[in-house]
Amino acid sequence: MTNMAEDLKAPDLEDGVPSRGGAISPEDRRRSQRKMSTREQKKRTTDVVIYGVLVVLVVALMVPFIWMLSSSLKENNQVLTVPIQWIPSEFVWSNYTDIWTRIPMMGYLQNSLYLAVIITCLQVLTGSLAAYGFSKVRFPGRDVLFLAYIGTIAVPWQAYMVPQYIMMQQLGLTNSFNALILLQAFGAFGVFLMRQYYMTIPDELCEAARIDGLSEYGIWARVILPLSKPALASLALLTFVNTWNDYMGPFIYLTSNRLWTVQLGLRSFVGQFDAEYAMIMTGSVISVIPILLIFLVGQRYFIQGIATSGMKG
Amino acid sequence: MTAETLKRAPAVHSRGNRKQARRNTLIGWTFILPNFLGFLAFTLIPVLAAFALSFMEWTSFSAPRWVGLANFQRMVQSDTFWVALRNTVLYALGHVPLTMALALVLALLLNRKLKGIGFFRVAIFFPYITSLVAVAVVWNMLFSPDSGPINQFLHAVGIANAPGWTSSSDWAMPAVIITSVWRDMGYYMILYLAGLQAIPTELYEAAEVDGASPWQRFWNVTLPSLRPTTFFVVVMLTVSSFKVFDLIVVMTNGGPGRATTVLSQLIYQEGIGEGKFGYSSAISLVLFVIVLTVTVLQFKLQQRRER
Amino acid sequence: MKRTTLAAIALAVTAGLGMTGCAGAAGPAEPQAQEGKTRLTVSVWNYEGTPEFKALFDGYEAANPNVDIEPVDILAEDYPQKVTTMLAGGDTTDVLTMKNVIDYSRYAGNGQLQEINSVVDSLDKDNLAGLDAFDVDGKYFAAPYRQDFWLLYYNKDLFKAAGVEDPADLTWDEYTALAQKLTTKGADGKTVYGTYHHIWRSVTQAIAAAQNNGDQIGGDYGFFEDQYNTALGLQKSGATLDFGTAKSQKTSYRTMFETGQAAMMPMGTWYISSLTQAKKDGKTNVNWGLAPMPQKKSGGDVTTFGSPTAFAVNKNAAHSEEAKKFIEWAAGEEGAKAISKIGVVPALQNDAVTDAYFKLDGLPTDELSKKAFTPDETALEMPVSDKSAATDKILNQEHDLIMVGERSVADGITEMGKRVKSEVLGQ
Repeated sequence: MTNMAEDLKAPDLEDGVPSRGGAISPEDRRRSQRKMSTREQKKRTTDVVIYGVLVVLVVALMVPFIWMLSSSLKENNQVLTVPIQWIPSEFVWSNYTDIWTRIPMMGYLQNSLYLAVIITCLQVLTGSLAAYGFSKVRFPGRDVLFLAYIGTIAVPWQAYMVPQYIMMQQLGLTNSFNALILLQAFGAFGVFLMRQYYMTIPDELCEAARIDGLSEYGIWARVILPLSKPALASLALLTFVNTWNDYMGPFIYLTSNRLWTVQLGLRSFVGQFDAEYAMIMTGSVISVIPILLIFLVGQRYFIQGIATSGMKG
Repeated sequence: MTAETLKRAPAVHSRGNRKQARRNTLIGWTFILPNFLGFLAFTLIPVLAAFALSFMEWTSFSAPRWVGLANFQRMVQSDTFWVALRNTVLYALGHVPLTMALALVLALLLNRKLKGIGFFRVAIFFPYITSLVAVAVVWNMLFSPDSGPINQFLHAVGIANAPGWTSSSDWAMPAVIITSVWRDMGYYMILYLAGLQAIPTELYEAAEVDGASPWQRFWNVTLPSLRPTTFFVVVMLTVSSFKVFDLIVVMTNGGPGRATTVLSQLIYQEGIGEGKFGYSSAISLVLFVIVLTVTVLQFKLQQRRER
Repeated sequence: MKRTTLAAIALAVTAGLGMTGCAGAAGPAEPQAQEGKTRLTVSVWNYEGTPEFKALFDGYEAANPNVDIEPVDILAEDYPQKVTTMLAGGDTTDVLTMKNVIDYSRYAGNGQLQEINSVVDSLDKDNLAGLDAFDVDGKYFAAPYRQDFWLLYYNKDLFKAAGVEDPADLTWDEYTALAQKLTTKGADGKTVYGTYHHIWRSVTQAIAAAQNNGDQIGGDYGFFEDQYNTALGLQKSGATLDFGTAKSQKTSYRTMFETGQAAMMPMGTWYISSLTQAKKDGKTNVNWGLAPMPQKKSGGDVTTFGSPTAFAVNKNAAHSEEAKKFIEWAAGEEGAKAISKIGVVPALQNDAVTDAYFKLDGLPTDELSKKAFTPDETALEMPVSDKSAATDKILNQEHDLIMVGERSVADGITEMGKRVKSEVLGQ
């Protein structure tokens, strides 16, 4: 069999589909020597074409980010000139040093990080637990409950913002991180995502594990979780990004300045009649860095193929 | 595959069956409990409260007053509501298929072992993490009717009457759709990537042994295996399209006029903006019913396919 | 194993953050009110960037050592939304700053503010600009501490270069001609516009209402016509940046004026303090002056429009009496002096206050600027009524359509009237 277990990188794919598989006998090798080079040639051209497409795509995708970067190095009244100035006439590097003293940027970053990490961990944990219940265990009312979950996703937050606020006010949780954590760590999105993913995992695996004597919790921890790494990584990444970029939640529930997150801090540069766009962009560039780091790290989990554990044979 | 397996489960003696059922219920609940408690208290109940509010009038100082269907009557007679509804549906119709298709194409493109593929994956995610303000300013500049690159390109290829984009009532929504597709495709590409990674290579190997071409492999192996992921993507895309708010506010603020005003915006304006909580709750109830209907339809379609 | 190490790291990070997180890392914890002191909470926006609040609070605390004022800092952009939500939840902040009169009419109408006739009676009513706006059937629920009005900023250097006189006593026709004359294309290909009209509807609608005695919530908007024709004419002749571009690219009026891209600019008096600050910081070197807004006829009274900012007492306030005392101080002479020192225009207008204001470093001291500072009549930017918010929304939407050229002026005005009458006035 192919050495899938050791292959921790993406399978060799062409159009998303593997192009090679299986061992090759020496006769085949000699016979297909010529075919291999044509094949290799074809692959190389495809690769070059793909590279070309990707490069164009990347440039197109990064244009606003480039504007963001260039604006962060301008004076406030140079940012929104008409026509747009792509390269600053003078590079205001001091924006990057000033922002730490203009607003408590470091503190805001820490607050954002705290919220994002806690909410992500809770969401991933409870979400994957609940998803297992909704996909692999049958009990009455399961589908109705799940429909209720999905149903709430359909309601825009603006609609139930005020009832939530009143509830939090009664609990005395306004102006605290806990309000946001409680509101956002138990969302339906995570449950839905993980459930869909779990449904692609064949039930035979669970059956086999049950026969082996594992309890349901054991199955979840030892069989399902390892298999769902890409989905877990996706959920973690998306939750982290959403929490990090969330404005309305912190705006409503974090009144004290010391609790503010990065998004609130950046908005404080929008005054009553005007906005300090250069500072806003400087802060935005800085706040993007943790997300990029997380993505680069989490990316490896997307690449990881299915680990052995029971899939073979 | 899954449904059949479950159907073929051996019939057990009735007493054991009931015991098993009760055990299952207990186990099922322990799994969902942590999440469900938080969900119930902080999401479900406020949502139900909001729906209840749609039958009341409440300006937040005095107690809420029951008014029955008055809010809904007002809504149906309001021109702005129908405008917002039409805009929201238009947006969804444009946003969902385009984003889905592009996200899938990108995932297929990037699900391979190429040097530096990691960099490209990150780059595609950039639009989603770029500050919304930056996105709005740059795209508005790109769409500028006279000096913007897009119209200049259109002029160059011979299109004389280039659209006014965000300065025109007719073209503002397409402009917003294009921007939002550009922004979201990276986000959904991640989901598709995860789904693609889950497809066992044996299926491809078997297909190749059978002599299937790459296109056939895509159609008969990739797409069907991606069904749960696609379902998720479609549902989430639809729901988020109906709920769109931030991008509209930052890019056109519902304008010009009301050309890009959407339901979420209306809900926000009427509720938090003007303090008419009963009325805005009525609008959200209607939005919810619409989205729920669409989602249930999608569910049914999915179930039928799985059978 | 990889997974356990990652989990361990995650746990450690979380624990570490937990220490900082719970307390909030972006500043010191709130100081508890000291023994014997009354803690007065006041809702403000962008506390750091709006120096008038600090000036008022410091001044009041100095005069009343037994009071500790604690600002409730809310972001300016969404200030009304947060206050609405807070009040809906039964918040107990003592003093609520009324950012504009539209929000005031809503809160007052909802019964969320306390009546403060006693405070108002003890103030210098005749010289308190904008006080009328807060009169709701003889009752006052807020008192103004600050009054902004609109005048014409102009770039003295650009005027000199074009060889034209300073813009004294302009009619709208003269203004248009002047703007066209001052529009040039610089050596670097960049256009210098004769004037810049910001995208707000007030730039056209409020001045039209003020100078024609028009009622913006009446449902009949014929009085907008001349002003719209002027505005569109300027746009068409290229004397000002076109509306579509300005709106979609969020053009900043500060940028346009401070980079010398506009020779004139109608704008509110709040810009004075930030303009002087920008010059002091060396961020611009525009040689600026003030002139009265152009009028319909020359030689007559100067009519412009403005908007007051006020303080109100929350119905659920924890310290109502102290709140009222604060408002009395802020709207009175002491408060006026405190903020005029930093270039903010107080509501109280008398000679002492105006003199203190013009002592501000960097203010133009020529006669024209001083004249601009004392318009004969300042109408309200928008009438106070429970219909204001909804009307404002409709007027904004139609303003967009007229300015981008999708609707003719006549059609736009008709549509405005039709929509306001049916959607707001219920006719």
